[in-house]
Amino acid sequence: MEHVYPLEGDEQIAALQGVDLTVERGEFVALVGSNGSGKSTLARHFNGLLLPTAGRVWVDGLLTSDPRQLWQVRQRVGMVFQNPENQLVASTVEEDVAFGPENHTLPPDEIRRRVDEALSVVGLEDYRTHPPQMLSGGQKQLVAIAGALATRPACIVFDEPTSMLDPPGRRQILEIIRRLNAEESLTVVLITQAMDEAAAARRVLVMDAGRIVMDGPPEEIFEQRERLKALRLSLPPAAEIAQQLRDRGLTLPLGLLTVEALAGALC
Amino acid sequence: MLIQVEKLVHTYAPGTPLERTALHEVSLEIGPRERVGILGPTGSGKSTLVQHLAGLLTPTAGRVWLDGIAAHERTARARAQRRRVGLAFQYPEAQIFEQTVFREVAFGPRNLGLEKTEVATRVRWALEMVGLDPATMEARVPFTLSGGEMRRVALASILSLQPEVLILDEPMAGLDPQGRRELLARIQAWQACPEPSRRKETGLTLIVVSHNLDELARVVERVVVLERGKIAADGPARQVLSDGPLLRAAGLDAPQPVALMQMLREAGWPVRTDRLLPEEAADEIAQARRFPYEEILS
Repeated sequence: MEHVYPLEGDEQIAALQGVDLTVERGEFVALVGSNGSGKSTLARHFNGLLLPTAGRVWVDGLLTSDPRQLWQVRQRVGMVFQNPENQLVASTVEEDVAFGPENHTLPPDEIRRRVDEALSVVGLEDYRTHPPQMLSGGQKQLVAIAGALATRPACIVFDEPTSMLDPPGRRQILEIIRRLNAEESLTVVLITQAMDEAAAARRVLVMDAGRIVMDGPPEEIFEQRERLKALRLSLPPAAEIAQQLRDRGLTLPLGLLTVEALAGALC
Repeated sequence: MLIQVEKLVHTYAPGTPLERTALHEVSLEIGPRERVGILGPTGSGKSTLVQHLAGLLTPTAGRVWLDGIAAHERTARARAQRRRVGLAFQYPEAQIFEQTVFREVAFGPRNLGLEKTEVATRVRWALEMVGLDPATMEARVPFTLSGGEMRRVALASILSLQPEVLILDEPMAGLDPQGRRELLARIQAWQACPEPSRRKETGLTLIVVSHNLDELARVVERVVVLERGKIAADGPARQVLSDGPLLRAAGLDAPQPVALMQMLREAGWPVRTDRLLPEEAADEIAQARRFPYEEILS
């Protein structure tokens, strides 16, 4: 598929060029790339927020560009964005989480059931009547995730969900993403600029200038320091230390992506 | 510029049920040319403090002095001091309002009443500082930019004011790794050697608020840790950023090289833990490997 943004006059920007990609049910995919490489544009095609200029996107066999199928596409693929402030719409946590199911015109009992379930999955049961504005950044992001879960999607696309959070908030969100993938078989697409977050996925896609240029498990992707550097990326800090140790003549196994793994290999 | 914070108290919504004191008698001095990191978890008062440094808030009690003048005063001389301080907010793209990138970045310099050519020079310089090509970017409409590009434009619009004190609140969030490296390198170079026409004897001060200690370790020489509106630590970056228990108590993660060195130390390696950068950690480990600790002990 391709996607072109029109500019003023005859100019245009080709944000996506010849992208071919299949994400299977239950995968945990990290999407990395420099600013402007097309990550967010691509992700917005997964639930029909954007439609391709050329090519097609199918979700469970449903075509995102078919208006009659778009509703079902949106039901299957949820999105969580970077800034939780912009995603909160209601005056209490539970109303906020109910917003999605209400939009899908579900009966009240069913909405109640789904809101309760979503809040319990993210651990916010005790905050149901709180105003979201009073929560911490990490908790606000949990509300946004609960809101996405309440429509019972098969997949959630997270667009830099942690970049505004402090370390405890960041850990909280990554933990819940991992759990949703492992225990609830939720398909996860995680866009991130933090390479140690990408290393937690089972598959890493690297984008450059609107194309997918690398695709593989993190252990393979993050062995290619020079290639990543040329693509304006970096290694997770632990992998960078491991590479620098190899530069200094030490022999270490491949695929050391965390300080725990590196310490284990050294001791 | 000498910044003095004297028993600063800030209370939000005083006298209401939502009353919350964000800063409790904070005292702090930041001298000219210092590079200071301000750390702390969400809600620790970082953003409130830096807004006071820029004179944007009125203290509930205490004062912030900019070269001896109270920062928040509504006087001409206080306004003149505030102009010397540039603050890039945490969500800088929210401040974008102009129709082209050029107009956005030119807004501040134009308001300073600078000549047209000087404004154009400043815009080009500021865009280059944030890693954007002026030739292709100046005519772009901000809403057609990617998230990271918008962030850079917002930063450029602060830099184009060429402040003497530059305060960056989470400047790296949303930038790609290479963009973060470049921005830090350029800001450091600018700090070391500002544009000659603007060079003042006092020099440039850099204050960075960030959660990412791995990146902060490359930039700042001094670190102030805030916790629940009080200063929990203030000292040389190497000392504060390698103090695992202190950082954990403040809800922060030590830089990963420090975390690694601590693990190795617990496993009995004779290594220093205050290695903040990957290359420092690699040097220390290679050194320890070359002289295994059994030999050192015997």
